[in-house]
Amino acid sequence: MNLLKDVLKELLGMFLADARLTGAVLVLFGAVTASINLGIAKPLAGGAGLMVGCLVILAAVTILQARRD
Amino acid sequence: MIDTASWTVAAPAVGSAFAASIVEVVEAFTIVLAVGTLRGWRPAVTGTATALGVLALMVVTLGPLLDRVPLHALQLVIGVLLLVFGMGWLRKAILRSAGVLPLHDEDAAFAKETAELSSQTSRSTASLDWIAGLTAFKAVLLEGLEVIFIVIAVGAGRGLLAAAALGAAAACAAVLAVGAALHRPLSRVPENTLKFGVGVMLAAFGVFWTGEGLGIDWPGGDLVLLLFAALFLATGFGLATVLRRPTGEIIT
Repeated sequence: MNLLKDVLKELLGMFLADARLTGAVLVLFGAVTASINLGIAKPLAGGAGLMVGCLVILAAVTILQARRD
Repeated sequence: MIDTASWTVAAPAVGSAFAASIVEVVEAFTIVLAVGTLRGWRPAVTGTATALGVLALMVVTLGPLLDRVPLHALQLVIGVLLLVFGMGWLRKAILRSAGVLPLHDEDAAFAKETAELSSQTSRSTASLDWIAGLTAFKAVLLEGLEVIFIVIAVGAGRGLLAAAALGAAAACAAVLAVGAALHRPLSRVPENTLKFGVGVMLAAFGVFWTGEGLGIDWPGGDLVLLLFAALFLATGFGLATVLRRPTGEIIT
């Protein structure tokens, strides 16, 4: 049972180690998907938004953790 | 297969699988080495072989299911997972490079594992061998799971699974060959630099696959992957420089 727990913990840890990072990426993905599907943004503009958004999220979560530690 | 994809995607996919696998295999090797050194090679090899068998079974069982998933859906799911996983690695590598988090130390990991196994001396020999074998099994299984994910993630979107798996297998062979020759933890492997580079590539693949899954026709096709990687790399370097503390490792 401990082994199974460790395996599940490892699998979850791969994607949920930083809840803020995971949450922010999911919100960004949802926003980009919605803006493309609803015709608010052209696909390429959505793609550019995804790329820029990822860089902003990376900077934000990294700076936040550096300040905290 | 590799001939159906452009080398612009194939080379980074194989390179990422190789470099990421080096990082994971080195960590597993340290623990297996500690087990082998302290309790003999029988439990170490048995635990390792059993874990590799379980991993192979998972690949053989789950691998064919990937072919049944529509390509766009597969690219979307893998793309988002890659974004989370790759950016997570990159964040950690930046913080380690800046000296905010301590660097992973294989010598320290080896000493810790050896101390933990040594503390069980009150148990019988059979029980100690069982614990040692289980320790090796768990290490190889847990690190192997990450290798499998990375191989699937960088390879599945363009039929590069075999090539990515070859990259991972080459990493295993390289670590085993060097480890067998040195017979000590591979503490001189520039783990954080590898993790930094792999994080950059996985995050770039994440944006690329997610976009493809959303139906975005990237200008320049596969070449845009290099632009994404350059943007993540520049941001990573910039953050590591801005956040650097006196003990930070300089990535060359």
